[in-house]
Amino acid sequence: MEPGLLQSSNWPLLIDLYFFLGGVAGGAFVIATIANLVDGRRYQDIVRIGYYVAFLALLPCPILLIVDLGYPTRFLHMLMVSKPSTAIGMGAVTVGPLHLKPFSPMSAGSWALLVFGLCTFLCALDVFLTDRGGRSMIRLRTVVGLVGSVFGFFIAAYPGVLLGATARPLFVNAHWLGAIFLAVGAATGGAAIALVLALLRGAGAREGLTRVMRVTSMALVVELIALILFVVSVKMAGSAGISAALGRLLAGPYSIPFWLGAVIVGIVVPLVLQRRAGAPGMVALVSALVLVGGFLVKYVLIAAGQAS
Amino acid sequence: MARTVAMFTDVSLCIGCRACQVACKQWNQLAPEEPEWTGSYQNHATFTDKSYRLVRFFEEPGDDKVGMRWHMMSDVCKHCAQAGCLEACPTGAIYRTEYGTVNINQDICNGCRYCVSACPFGVVSFNHDTGTATKCTFCNDRLHNGLGPACAKACPTESIRFGFRDDLEAKARKRVDELQKMGFKDAQLYGADKGGALGGLNAFFLLLAKPAKYGLPEQPKLPQRNVVMDSLFSIGAAVAVGLGALLAFRGRGDDAGGS
Repeated sequence: MEPGLLQSSNWPLLIDLYFFLGGVAGGAFVIATIANLVDGRRYQDIVRIGYYVAFLALLPCPILLIVDLGYPTRFLHMLMVSKPSTAIGMGAVTVGPLHLKPFSPMSAGSWALLVFGLCTFLCALDVFLTDRGGRSMIRLRTVVGLVGSVFGFFIAAYPGVLLGATARPLFVNAHWLGAIFLAVGAATGGAAIALVLALLRGAGAREGLTRVMRVTSMALVVELIALILFVVSVKMAGSAGISAALGRLLAGPYSIPFWLGAVIVGIVVPLVLQRRAGAPGMVALVSALVLVGGFLVKYVLIAAGQAS
Repeated sequence: MARTVAMFTDVSLCIGCRACQVACKQWNQLAPEEPEWTGSYQNHATFTDKSYRLVRFFEEPGDDKVGMRWHMMSDVCKHCAQAGCLEACPTGAIYRTEYGTVNINQDICNGCRYCVSACPFGVVSFNHDTGTATKCTFCNDRLHNGLGPACAKACPTESIRFGFRDDLEAKARKRVDELQKMGFKDAQLYGADKGGALGGLNAFFLLLAKPAKYGLPEQPKLPQRNVVMDSLFSIGAAVAVGLGALLAFRGRGDDAGGS
């Protein structure tokens, strides 16, 4: 077959970094919220660190996205234009100048980023004020936490769905990218909390560390399963172009960062070490590996997809 | 909405002169580009931000009687009835015109480049000078003034024809029958069927061989078809992780160290 003409978005590292930080923020926020719901006082440290991590990780995200645009000053067009056309796609909703396209993950993601940004800000602010001896707005924190968790998971997962909705050979028949990205987000969010907790509290936070690491390990298992399903489903699609694209990921130029970085360093080693992890130093090491692996799995999937 | 217009490109009539490519560049005031060696007469290897029409050349080694076969095809944006670029665009810059064609509003596009990878045909290109995505406009300005696209106007062999979609489709079907009677067994239409892939293409083709021979996907797929299933799987993963986290935090303190 003659080569097709497919073109690539050629998104630079900025976007990989955004996908990674968005995942960390989403994962950390959800974990903090769940810890808060189960027992806010007992897991006080996890909740505080989780909300702070979510806020700080999300802070650079809009900047990364805006810098990447070909026309940075038009970033608001993601949400609104002065006169949206009516014929801009399936199920498009326009209210005044605002528009939302449910089948465009980038459009939905822009809105989600706005809402999630607000939630992370409110929760971080609440933690900050409580730390300063202010009265905790506990009910607000619960409501914002729950709403924000939905959007946090969304922010973690939607980049995968976004990639899946392209014509790139590696992605065109893949259905598991959203699940992979969500699991990576949860794992890296948990790892970020554990890392900070281990560094700040050390052995004093043994119980919290164990529990966060348990969440992280579970997310790693979900990630591993989703990765396997991704590879199998792409392989089953079977056309020559798609097989070549998968080959580049599994055996070609991207195989080393994929197998060694994403799978071994990012999933297998942390899962093995975590089983015998007790000391905060070990937890910090495992968390760092999860963070590195989480970035690499996203990086390598995007790179292989864009190159194929 | 006005009657849907279309372009019909009949590769059996294409002589590879590239008048269409030049006319497109002139009318749309697209800057010149450095030629590149693609191994054939084709220039460039893909659509670019300055080449909206692209005459593609495929050489096929023949048998003893026929030394070499040429396949030439003037390729262009397909203006799909279900367009991946249009669905992907987060700004609403890409819209469907009253003629049924797909256009990019250059004043709205913010250069996110999502449409570039969402096109199943690799048509949309990113212009680094303007910071926006560009592609064939179906000569929207000419359409509004009752003219067909410049490429169709320039084509000396009427390989590219412009007209209302239903009229052109009927003509195309007749032409396929003629060609098949003349012995071109593999003559076939690509994208003419409204019930077919992507809801039919508003720039459709008559090919003399299988689509793959022309580097076209046999069954182009709307990328956004993945969105629902991908989202459901993501929700599944979210439920698994969420429930797992809930269980991890619940258990009693003293069994926290156990597994």
